[in-house]
Amino acid sequence: MMPLLTDHLVSLLIAVPFLGIAAILLARGDEWARRIALLSSLVGFGLSLTLWWQFDPAQPGMQFVERANWLPTFNIQYAVGVDGISVLLVLLTALLTPLCVLASWRAITAKVRAFMSLILLVEGAMIVVFTAMDLFLFFMLWEITMIPMYFMIVLWGGPRRIVAGLKFVLFSLTGSLLLLAGILGLYLHAGHTFDMQVLTVAASQIAPDAQQWIFVALFLGFAIKLPMIPFHSWLPDAHSEAPTAGSVILAGVLLKMGGYGFLRICVPMLPEAAVEFSPYILWLSVAAILYGGCLALAQSDLKKLVAYSSISHMGFVTLGIFAFNQQGVQGSVLQMFNHGITTGALFLAVGLLYDRTHRRMISDYGGLHKPMPRFVVFLSIFSVASFGLPGTANFVGEFLVLVGTSYESMLLVLLAMGGIVLAAAYMLWMLQRVMLGQTTERSALLPDLSPREILTLAPLAIIVFVFGVYPGPLVELMANSVSELIASAQAFLPLG
Amino acid sequence: MSIYALIPALPLAAFVVLALGGRRLDGASHRIGVPAVAASFGLSIAALFEVARSGPVAVPLYRFVATGDFVIDIGLHVDQLAVLLLPLVTGVSFIVHVYSARYMIGDPRYRRFFAVMALFTFAMALLVTSNNLLVTYMCWELMGICSYLLISHWAQRPAAGRAATKAFLVNAVADVGLGFGVVLTFATYGTLDIQEILAQASAMSGQSIEVLGLAIERNTLITLCLLSGAMGKSAQVPMHVWLPFAMEAPTPVSALIHAATMVNAGPFLLVRMSPLVMLAPPAMVVIAIIGAVTALFGALVALTQSDIKKLLAFSTISQIGFMIFACGVGAFSAAVFHLLAHGFLKGFLFLSTGTALEAATGHAHGEESVPASRLRPLAVGALLLTCVPVIVVFSGPYEQLWTAQQVPSAGIAFWVVAVVTIFLTAVYAFRAIVSLFGAGVGSFVTALPRLSSRHHLPAVAVVSIAVAALLVGAWSWLGAFLAPALGGGIREAGSVTLSPLLVVPLAAAVAGWALAYARHLRPAAVPFGQREWVKSAYVHFLNRLYFDELHDACAVRPTLRLSRWLWRGLDLRWVDRTVLGTARGTRVLAESLHRLLERKVVDPTVHAVATVTVRLARWLWSAIDVRRVDAAVERGGRLAADVGAALRGFEPRTMRQNLWIVVYLLVAAIGISYWFTL
Repeated sequence: MMPLLTDHLVSLLIAVPFLGIAAILLARGDEWARRIALLSSLVGFGLSLTLWWQFDPAQPGMQFVERANWLPTFNIQYAVGVDGISVLLVLLTALLTPLCVLASWRAITAKVRAFMSLILLVEGAMIVVFTAMDLFLFFMLWEITMIPMYFMIVLWGGPRRIVAGLKFVLFSLTGSLLLLAGILGLYLHAGHTFDMQVLTVAASQIAPDAQQWIFVALFLGFAIKLPMIPFHSWLPDAHSEAPTAGSVILAGVLLKMGGYGFLRICVPMLPEAAVEFSPYILWLSVAAILYGGCLALAQSDLKKLVAYSSISHMGFVTLGIFAFNQQGVQGSVLQMFNHGITTGALFLAVGLLYDRTHRRMISDYGGLHKPMPRFVVFLSIFSVASFGLPGTANFVGEFLVLVGTSYESMLLVLLAMGGIVLAAAYMLWMLQRVMLGQTTERSALLPDLSPREILTLAPLAIIVFVFGVYPGPLVELMANSVSELIASAQAFLPLG
Repeated sequence: MSIYALIPALPLAAFVVLALGGRRLDGASHRIGVPAVAASFGLSIAALFEVARSGPVAVPLYRFVATGDFVIDIGLHVDQLAVLLLPLVTGVSFIVHVYSARYMIGDPRYRRFFAVMALFTFAMALLVTSNNLLVTYMCWELMGICSYLLISHWAQRPAAGRAATKAFLVNAVADVGLGFGVVLTFATYGTLDIQEILAQASAMSGQSIEVLGLAIERNTLITLCLLSGAMGKSAQVPMHVWLPFAMEAPTPVSALIHAATMVNAGPFLLVRMSPLVMLAPPAMVVIAIIGAVTALFGALVALTQSDIKKLLAFSTISQIGFMIFACGVGAFSAAVFHLLAHGFLKGFLFLSTGTALEAATGHAHGEESVPASRLRPLAVGALLLTCVPVIVVFSGPYEQLWTAQQVPSAGIAFWVVAVVTIFLTAVYAFRAIVSLFGAGVGSFVTALPRLSSRHHLPAVAVVSIAVAALLVGAWSWLGAFLAPALGGGIREAGSVTLSPLLVVPLAAAVAGWALAYARHLRPAAVPFGQREWVKSAYVHFLNRLYFDELHDACAVRPTLRLSRWLWRGLDLRWVDRTVLGTARGTRVLAESLHRLLERKVVDPTVHAVATVTVRLARWLWSAIDVRRVDAAVERGGRLAADVGAALRGFEPRTMRQNLWIVVYLLVAAIGISYWFTL
């Protein structure tokens, strides 16, 4: 048992959700489907904790590597492995999935088996994306994540779900097409291989002009997923129309695939082009931070507010990555992790409100502090964490990104800080309108959180605070991986 | 030496226990908060003696984060400055805790109140002992959220929610400056350890950074950033707007905010970074101007306010402005002295006000009116409040300093600002006491002339001289004690002189009291006279020079309007519509392509081909003799039938036969094609 655990840990992690799906399909009745989904996602989480535990941050390169030939004609392998960044994102995925299952426990009443299978399918696919060492495998599972998300939005979503689902698919497909073009470009220009490790060495030798178009294609593919402005308009619709679990997965993990793609593919494989384009990307990131913040300020729909705030926060991710230094990139990865936690938690919290009233407007609530004191505590925690209050994990990520950016331009730092003020403004204003003031008649009768609901929110609150005061373990986990990934790009940075 | 760590840790522990404690603790919350803060206070006093005896102590705690060369080691730096402030923070907090245990009784959010108070105390205690700018910044923000939570304590009041949001957001805007300063400091010094920064500061002077094409010295810019943070937390013009609104909080919170935490953070930060500040003369000028403007503005507005809590708020603004002003002219230890004195006095004033208001509004537990015994200490407090800055700031050899900075004229400005502030403070302080204790004040007011009568004059003189001597003694001790913490750049240490010019500010204070007394004896229908300009000035200052409206009109509403426009006007109309337009365009394109190709290209082509074929067939029909062909076909048919009959015998039955047929066909096909290619 032990060698199986250690040698095939990643494959096991991937297999567990799919086994769960098989079990759900065999199971009879909705209650069993829920239990199996919860069990298999919890097993997945346990395995991801083992992975974190067993991972040795001091060692360079990928660990827990497994390789098997898949389509040898095209040099396609099943190759998986993890480095510090992957471990963190796998952990995030495996952590949020059981919470999603718990959040849909009572909220989803129709076609429960299908819904639970879809959650597990997304989980499995995303874990493969975060651990793949073969571009083809990466791309294939990248595509697969889209399908369950589409069905979640379209079948269980809100009133405008059809439009939202269509938009999501159209954007995703466009992005995928560009991504495919970029990946094929890499394949053709760098020695007919999809092996990411080989490509990392080989691709940096590609002629600069070829590097440029490949970079642009890949960049657009990832930028749509992240999303950066001006490719963001699928996000508010998809996030706000999706059921709670869908929003959590979308905002919590799916967006991170874009940032992961930048880090794993764009920067190390095409360093020259990345450095060349970085000034524009940095400005675009800051624009996203401010623009997303402004839009969030204008929202009167709770879910849309959180959705637009995601655009703003993901701006920090790209800002840090394309500063190409240790602080910035580590800050970005932390920001991805923390944003996954807090935004996931915010969607969960809003979902809990929605379950009670089936309303999403801020003006539908007011004075919640009285009927729902526990809920208000959690909502406040995640809101202040979301704008990066010191003492919460998000502060560390954002601050590291700012420190990283300071090597590039102080003006960008100042503008990005403006985004933090905007974030504080829309979050506190939302809090003021939702939880403070006179309790409205409709809100007065709302029941407070049940133990199951507290169970979905409490772990995230604990994480927010623990890593806010002691981020050391997360930062150490990825220090070496990050310095490996950005080493080639740093060589192209202008001196001084 | 980790015993020092207990000073901030005990309130933190109290917070954690209260936050996680659940309903069981509800009524007994003060039993956790009060002892924790009391112990913290005791330790602070011990730390004061310890540091006085054996110098500053460094307490390393743990490594917060380390990426590349960005290393943050959290630790405490307990030096003279820290141990002077710790007793103030924990002491006032302790008193406020004890006071609130009774004041807040029966409050539905009793536990939350004590939890946040403990957290507030922790944040300020860690702030004054922090050895690292990042930790300072973190505590800074933490205090912001604590103030938010406490101001919104009575959440059912809509005004409380608005005030809380306003307080946090004004601070957030100001803290952009501070945060930027922290990043800039790291970019400049490569470390955020305060002692290291201060040690390297002089080596860095002269290094400049380009800001929008303007070369600014790095130290100057950092100092200005620190000032920006200080302006927010310490409520300096124009960031002062949150403080009067913060009065929505329960009164003990006001005492905590005004006396122990929050507003003191600004002067503290400037004093903590004083060696750096001293290296940035242009920034010091800005600091002094902001401080002076705030001191005068706050005092003038305080004159006009009729709400006692608002009056006290503006008095705080004014006094803190004075401290910032003192920092700006290099009188750092004067600022600290005033900070300590003001802290204890303000805490006291607020708590007495709370009691008085409870009595006045009738929801008190017991006394119906304020006994005169409460009045005297209060009056003495107000008197001291007006006199402390007098003695402090006029007794240091600052002329020397200004001459060294080549701005001797600053001395004159300093004198003018200080004297005017003292005068105004005397006036409003007297007014406050009179209006607060309207009934009970009579005895005090009538006591004044009696005090100044011939019998008591010697005694009064002796007491005054004794008080003054005590204060000067404390002040000169403090100056000497504080000197090592302020670094070598300060020349004010240990050289306190009683200048004969002291008479001027004292006279100003007395004049202020006299004026207020005179006004009290002859209350006019219109305060401050009938002249037009006085009246209009009164109205303007009563409305606080419209800063709230200004902020609203210049910052809040434009931002909201911009946001809404960005959303509706830009995002939905352009970005989203572009996408939808692309999709629709694609569909329209496909449809038109369909139409175009089908109708214009494919259909005609098919039609043409068909027509040609039919015509060709007709032509062939007419050209070839049909009957012969018919006969040939008939013969062919018969032949085929015969072949078929013959082949029926050979109907393939096995795999092999099938294969043979394929092979024959292949050979035939190859033969035919060979024949054709020949």
